[in-house]
Order: sequence, then C-alpha cells, then structure tokens
Amino acid sequence: MDQQILLEKIAFNVMQGRLEAEDEGFDEGLEGKPAVTELVKEAIRDGVDPKSIVLEALTGSMEVVGEKFESGEYLIPDMLASAECVGVAMDLLSPYLLKAGVETKGKFIISTVKGDLHDIGKNIVSIMLKGAGYEVIDLGADVPTDRIVGAVKEHQAPYLGLSALLTTTMRVMGDVIEKLKEEGVRESVKVLIGGAPTSKEFADQIGADAHCKDAFEATNILKTMAH
Amino acid sequence: MIIIGEKINATLTGIKSIVQKQDGAGLLELAKTQAAAGAGFIDVNVGTGVGSREDEIVSMQWAVKTIQEEIETPLCIDSADPGVLEAGLRMRNGRPSLINSTKAEEKNLAQVMPLADQYQTPIVGLAMDETGIPKTVEDRLRACENIASACDKYRVPIENVYFDPLVLPVSTDVNQGLVTLYTIVEIRKRFSAARIVMGLSNVSYGLPGRPGLNAAFLHMAVYAGLDAAIMDPLNQTLMNAVKAAEVLVGKDRHCRRYTRAFRGS
Repeated sequence: MDQQILLEKIAFNVMQGRLEAEDEGFDEGLEGKPAVTELVKEAIRDGVDPKSIVLEALTGSMEVVGEKFESGEYLIPDMLASAECVGVAMDLLSPYLLKAGVETKGKFIISTVKGDLHDIGKNIVSIMLKGAGYEVIDLGADVPTDRIVGAVKEHQAPYLGLSALLTTTMRVMGDVIEKLKEEGVRESVKVLIGGAPTSKEFADQIGADAHCKDAFEATNILKTMAH
Repeated sequence: MIIIGEKINATLTGIKSIVQKQDGAGLLELAKTQAAAGAGFIDVNVGTGVGSREDEIVSMQWAVKTIQEEIETPLCIDSADPGVLEAGLRMRNGRPSLINSTKAEEKNLAQVMPLADQYQTPIVGLAMDETGIPKTVEDRLRACENIASACDKYRVPIENVYFDPLVLPVSTDVNQGLVTLYTIVEIRKRFSAARIVMGLSNVSYGLPGRPGLNAAFLHMAVYAGLDAAIMDPLNQTLMNAVKAAEVLVGKDRHCRRYTRAFRGS
C-alpha cells in the first residue's frame, strides 16, 4: 500500500477508535476491515519512518478526537477508544522509535494528591498525554506530597500534573507547590493542575503554572510551554 | 426495597446554600417530599466542602434537629468524618438511623464501628479500602471480609451491616457494571444476614440517556440481591423500575405495590 494512504488509514482508524479488525468503530459498518494494530504492523513491515507514523497518523488524529469531544460529538468512551489505539500503536512503535533515536516530548509526572482517591479524570489525562508523545509517570491516587516532590527530583521531570476532585483535597495541591519551593525545584518544573472543583483563579492563588479543564486543554497548554 | 433519599447532600448546588444559610423551610421541603414519595430513609450530608469540621458538626446537628421535629422518617447520617457522624447520632437520641459510612480500613473502622455498637445503629460498609475503589470482584470482597471481621471485634451484628458493593462508570471501563453485579451476588452468598445497598447514578456517568441506564442497572441489581438503593425517590423512572424489578423477582406479594402504582390513573 502507498505509504501516504497507509498513514491516512491509521489516522482514520484512530479517530474511529478501532484497535483490531473485528472492532466496531464510531461509525457503522467498519467491522472486518484492518484497524490500527494491523495497519501499524503493516507500516512497520513496509519500512515507513516510525516518526512520521507518530506525527502524521497518531498525534494529529488525537487532536481531532479532542475537538470532537469538546464539541460534544464524541463521548468519554469514544475518546478512550481512540486513546487506547494510540497507546497500543505507541507500544508497537517504541522499539523502532528508540532505535531511530527519537526522543519523547519530556517526562510528565502525574498524580492525584494525598487524601483523594479519585483517579478517573487523572487516568484519562495520563492516557491522552502518552498518546501525545510524553513519557508519562503515573504515581496513582492518594499520593503523599513528599513522594510527588521526590519523583519530580528523581526524574528531573519538566512537567508535573496534579489532580483533586474534592474541595477538601484541592488545597493539598498548594502544599505540593510549597514543598517544591522548599526543596529548591520549583523553577525547574511546570505545574499543571486540574479536577472538578479547581479553576484558573485557584491555580493563580496557589501559584500553579496552569489550570487545565480537561485532557485536551492540558495537551494544548503543554505545547505552548514547550516553545 | 428500601429507598434512601439522596437529595439532602450539600455537595449539590442549591443544597449547599440551604445548609450555609440554615434555611429550615428549604431543608424540610426536601425531607418531606422525599418521605412522601416513599423514602424509607432520608440521607443527610451537610459537608459543603468549605468551612471547618466544627461547622459541619453544627450543620449536622441543625439539620437532624430540624427534620426530626417535623417528620418521623428514619435518617441516614452521612459523613466521611466520624465526629460529624457522632454529632448526628447523638442528636437522633435513639431514633431509627443508619450510619453512612465506613471503609474497610483499620483506622476508619476503629472510629466508626464503635458508633454502630454504642448507638445500636445499622451501618453502611463500603467495599473499598485506603487504596480506593478496587477494580475487581475479589478485591471488593476482601474489603467486605475485613468489615465483617471488624463486626466481630466491635460487637456489631452482621445483620446491622449494609454492604455497598460500589459502582464505577461503565463509560471508562465497560466491565464495571458486571464487577458490581458479581460483587452483589457474592456478598449475598457469603453474608446472607447482611443487607446490600448501592447508589445507582455513578454507573451512567458520561453517557446519554442516564435515567434509562440507571433503571436497567437497578433491575439487574435487584435480581442479583440488592436490598436498598440510594437514589432520588422523586424520579418516577427509577421508582417504577424498583416496582417492576421487585414484582418480577417475587418480592411483591400479589403484585400489590406494582398494581397500586397504576390504580386510578
């Protein structure tokens, strides 16, 4: 198959959220046609540049998924289906990317703060950022402040994402930022916060670098931070 | 089926201001309409998320006092803070109540289970521990086993436990409906004297047509062995689902409750 057509097919199937040939897509009648797994394997076999698969077939299509979610056309399961495709494609591609010396967009540490067990939103952000090419280190939920700050130092991560879903635990995000200052690493890491009760005003109040209302805003904000 | 009316919850917009302003008329309206619609318990959660623990204790005392002066429906005292639970129970002064809730976590159990003993009150036990809501049936059952062990330790009869199998949205993991249903089946088997309670609406988070999905899930959960539901008793779709499910599993003798709902209509 022509390389360009192959890349377009991968992108189309990411948007359809079809992992394997038997899968249903967002639209009807696609069952049985090759999906992301089969097409990515074919592309690797054909010697398509792994970097162009990521840039032309995965990243862009995930952005379209983000827009469709924003507009309400896509629902949470539609978005997760697409993100799952990107995740599997990245797993298939990672040995080749490594060989080609392609670097990730940087380490992103993500965590729900101490006292808060909610992890659904945090997990969605985690999946989306992996899809967008970041090396995501997910610390989980209810993570003590010291462990979060320790991970930032250990990995020398340029980005930290904090999540809280409770009005009682959102304040802990401020504690994390204070601790980063104490440990002298506040300047080396950008702190992004999110979660239902948080806001732009709250982010300013605790001295975070950005507030993200969802996973897509997070990817957009990260793009502007990189420049 | 025991219906626990969920509407008095200060994390909901509208209710928060009722609690903050101590709007007694507004609070009573919520309590009375739910009781009239068939709630067996009225849940009282006054945690607004702002203010101190002392504020929540004062709010709980006010809310319980205000409601019990007017209606006799049992109250479900709902807080994550054992001190707030105790304040509510003390104000109840022996009137029928339900404690909502404890997790299967040592510290939490040690603070809340003695209240169930001291006030001789049934208690909701969540099938989760300090690590969050388990994703598998086995781990949720392990949490229930821990709660059952704590019952022995704190002299709480297992008949006084309402296990909550918990439910996660199917929109983020399509297997979670079944995880909850299988957990209900297993709790029923292992702790036949205990009761099973659940909040329904979380299952449909992120999806369209939520009332229909919630009703379908309720049907399945009743078949699996659900005894009580934390829900909006003013929601006719759900209330009809309760009646339909109970008549179909033989829990409505001579179809009385089911047919009564159609009488005169």
